[in-house]
Amino acid sequence: MQAGLSTKNAPSPKVVLPHYAYAAFAFIAASILLYFSANDLISTTLSPKILSMVHVLVLGWASMMIFGALYQLIPVVMEIKLYSEKLAMASFILLGIGTPLMAISFWTSFIGATIMMMTGGTLVVLSVLLFVINTSLSARKSDIKSIENRFIVTSGFWLLIAVSYGLLMIIHPNILSHNSLQIHIHLGIIGWFMTLIVGVASVLMPMFFISHQLNRKYLTAAYWFINGGLLFLLVSFYLKANTYIIVAAATTIIVGFILFIKYNYDAYKKRLRRKLDIGMKHSVLAFVLLFITLTAAFIAAFGDTFGNVVMHKAMVIYGISLFFGFITSLILGQMYKTLPFIIWLKLYQDKVGKFKTPLPADMHSQKVADLHYQSFVTAFVILLAGLLFSSVLLIKIAAILMLITALLYTYNTIKVLAHKEKLEPLVFPKPKPIPKTKAN
Amino acid sequence: MATINNLSEQEKEILEIIKTIPDPEVGVNIVDLGLIYEVSYNETDRRIDIKMTLSARGCPVGDAILQQVQTVVSNMYPGFYVDVDLVWEPAWTPELITEDGKAALDGGF
Repeated sequence: MQAGLSTKNAPSPKVVLPHYAYAAFAFIAASILLYFSANDLISTTLSPKILSMVHVLVLGWASMMIFGALYQLIPVVMEIKLYSEKLAMASFILLGIGTPLMAISFWTSFIGATIMMMTGGTLVVLSVLLFVINTSLSARKSDIKSIENRFIVTSGFWLLIAVSYGLLMIIHPNILSHNSLQIHIHLGIIGWFMTLIVGVASVLMPMFFISHQLNRKYLTAAYWFINGGLLFLLVSFYLKANTYIIVAAATTIIVGFILFIKYNYDAYKKRLRRKLDIGMKHSVLAFVLLFITLTAAFIAAFGDTFGNVVMHKAMVIYGISLFFGFITSLILGQMYKTLPFIIWLKLYQDKVGKFKTPLPADMHSQKVADLHYQSFVTAFVILLAGLLFSSVLLIKIAAILMLITALLYTYNTIKVLAHKEKLEPLVFPKPKPIPKTKAN
Repeated sequence: MATINNLSEQEKEILEIIKTIPDPEVGVNIVDLGLIYEVSYNETDRRIDIKMTLSARGCPVGDAILQQVQTVVSNMYPGFYVDVDLVWEPAWTPELITEDGKAALDGGF
């Protein structure tokens, strides 16, 4: 066994692949729900339709995809086998059933503690609990104590608190008076998504760019700024601190993200692969969109200082640009950097050197990938304009374009998942004759 | 073991064979990426030793690349024992990429 090799540690594709398939369909569902939420988005941040869409987006699309990708990436980042594939599979089933139950209940009964909501919410909490146990015990087995690992494990704990707190809000709506909604949202956004993404992206982006000699101090500092800032923010929300304290907490977190962006920007500048493939184009675009999210978040932190209209728009743009912009673009790109390799290893690992095999990059349709890149950029720009100018029509057009993006992306996901083995004979040069050994 | 700048004719031939193997992620051959450190051909012992690295620890396709080197060289030299040794020291750096490799990375895919 060669130290540092992750292939032998890779989990069974049966555990990972269903996550990719489920997430793609959830993205389609979220785009349809965006269409129906257009009217609500220009007037409120909280409505049955918005909550339904957001939970399909954050649980069914983003978290599902991250869970699946992480099971594949843990062996890469931690150089160990995943602690348990059974736990991973159980977590998938629980999240897969819990998410639509919650989404339907939000749509029909808003934040009411219906049986469907309680069941869905409990399943999601259990799913996350299994996920956290799995990632934490995997990290414990690992000798690699890197900052990236710490980001991954920490994010799981934040997610567990976020979903448990969410369920608690349904059971005891009276805690809503303690800014609970803000606490729940930021536990999810900063604690889970952003902390996790910072950890994983900091491993993958330099690996895919082929960039070396990066200053890792940025990452360590980012960890403390983001997590320290989040704690500061949560306490401030709970104690209903004044606007300037909230802005100070938000600034601390944003400084952490800027350090993370700086680390990845250095990787981008030092990259040896000058030409970006579709996976990296979407990933780089994600970082550009992150600036829009951070700007909106910073403005939102000022509350109603600039008036209610500005606050509403900043909050909606903050959330929508984060999930339909940064996170979606990153996932759209990273699918191409992970899924084809999982399938390639499954089909061709034992055939390499014996047959001519396709490359992972040959498994998807490039034309479809280019099309969904363009439809995504157009959808996002129109969506942003729709939110800025409070235009229902523009938001609906953007939702249709986002749906087209989701359908094209799903087509390529299925194309990779359904890839059939293609082997051609390898033409070897004539084997060397075995030299005769001299008789003594 | 001979470093790749100091190879016998036979070892150069082995390197040419290894050059047919692309890194599946970047599509550039692993010799031009600078992943092969040493090649040794020993006719008396009927043994070929290859010392190589990967551009990143935990490389998801590392095993497949090593397997491919083993298979391709074994096919070319039947009857020889082929040993492919993965090393992390000295660590791979971008300076190890050849001019051809750099050109391929710049716009070849």
